[in-house]
Amino acid sequence: MLILSLIWLGLGVVIGSVALAARLAPVGRGRLGWLALAPGAVAALLGGWLGSMLLDRIEASLVAVWVSILAVSVVGLLARRQRGMPTVE
Amino acid sequence: MQRAQVTTTQPSLAPARKRRGWRRWTALVARGALALAFIATLLLTVTPTGRAGVRAALILPALLTATEPPPLLIAGDPIRHTQRSIASQDGPVYLDIYAPTMPPPPIPGTRQGLLLISGVGDNRGVPQFVNLAQSLARSGVVAMTMTTYTLMGYTLAPATVDAVVQATLALQHTPGVNSRDVGIVGLSAGGALGAMAAADPRIRDTLGFVLTFGGYFDATNLLRDMGRRALMVDGKLVPWQPDPVPIQALANTIALTLPGADQSLIYSGFNTINGLSLSPADQARLSPAGQAAYHLLVGDEPDRVAANLAALPPQGHTLLASLSPSSVVAQIHAKVYLLHDQSDIYVPYTESRDFAAALTRLGHPHEFVEFSIFQHVEVKSGLGIGQTLHDGWSLYQILVATLGAGA
Repeated sequence: MLILSLIWLGLGVVIGSVALAARLAPVGRGRLGWLALAPGAVAALLGGWLGSMLLDRIEASLVAVWVSILAVSVVGLLARRQRGMPTVE
Repeated sequence: MQRAQVTTTQPSLAPARKRRGWRRWTALVARGALALAFIATLLLTVTPTGRAGVRAALILPALLTATEPPPLLIAGDPIRHTQRSIASQDGPVYLDIYAPTMPPPPIPGTRQGLLLISGVGDNRGVPQFVNLAQSLARSGVVAMTMTTYTLMGYTLAPATVDAVVQATLALQHTPGVNSRDVGIVGLSAGGALGAMAAADPRIRDTLGFVLTFGGYFDATNLLRDMGRRALMVDGKLVPWQPDPVPIQALANTIALTLPGADQSLIYSGFNTINGLSLSPADQARLSPAGQAAYHLLVGDEPDRVAANLAALPPQGHTLLASLSPSSVVAQIHAKVYLLHDQSDIYVPYTESRDFAAALTRLGHPHEFVEFSIFQHVEVKSGLGIGQTLHDGWSLYQILVATLGAGA
């Protein structure tokens, strides 16, 4: 399960990076810029664990992917609203 | 002065505009990729067919490479292997159960059960067979293999059908297994036994499906093909040289219906090079029925196959019929999957064609796939990529259909 958890974290970082490129995630600034990847990674880890508990381990990685994408999209949307930025460019 | 300013600012604006355009395209592509990944992974996890597709995708490489692929080892369930035996009309049934160690997940709440019958011989330790059972278990299926002394002794007996039924009932009553999501997967002669068990009133209405891979449909036709060492394909006879193993299995089976002296001669005449060979003196000692059986098995009288079949004792004909799915095909209720390799030297692929034709006549739901990447039920080595992809896709579709059968 440790290896799988690391894989899910890795998937979350990749999804967070793609979300940054897609301008969906809030962009981090300065030395704490990497924190922008945190929502995706944490969501993927939670999604993976949720998937393994509700479905099966074999499907958990896929749950980690869609939960992570959903999370970074929602977090990005909320961040933009809070900053008063348009939600759609 | 003003003109000079204009000429110096223009080059600095162009790259910035280009960068903005590039960023916009990158953002669009990234959003598209995320949307696609979201929809695909959501559908693959929330729909039963999607989940079956995921499992099939991880099991397929295990079938084609005969090893458990790393993704399945990492992402699959940890499994446990237990052994037990149950009683049947064929004596003890030896069961090897490969199951996930975790309880069934809340969605769907139960696990699928698959009964694997490997055919004649003791195949419980054969790496490809164990690999199949383990791969299925890692994907969340409870895989049970079964055999009996009769099968281990390279013999077919009608009582073994009861052993298959008893094993199916045991699997249906295994904790965590959905009793209506149990399928029988029969390899080689195990396919025929599985198909006959599928017609048994004790399980025929609760069985999810029956899959035969390299199985026969009619034992008399199988013996006929063996006797003439040729197959009837589209109205033409095509030469066919069988492996010694099916000759041994049929010899052991038919010998049971012959007089005692014939039995010992037939048993002692078997060898692993050509299947059966008796000296002229021993042949002369056989009864007329024994001689007919001998010539059918050896294939040295291809022009007298019909006469030799007719010369078999009545018990022989009864036995062959009772070992044939053709005699019970109308009583099968579950969906039937027929898989056969065209170059099979154990059981002719025409047997599965006949089975499919009979099911079509009955209007019974079935799927039939012919392969060329296997030899009997084992993957050939040195295959071309085109053929592997073609047959691999067909195998994947069968896996999705069977793994999602009860969903």
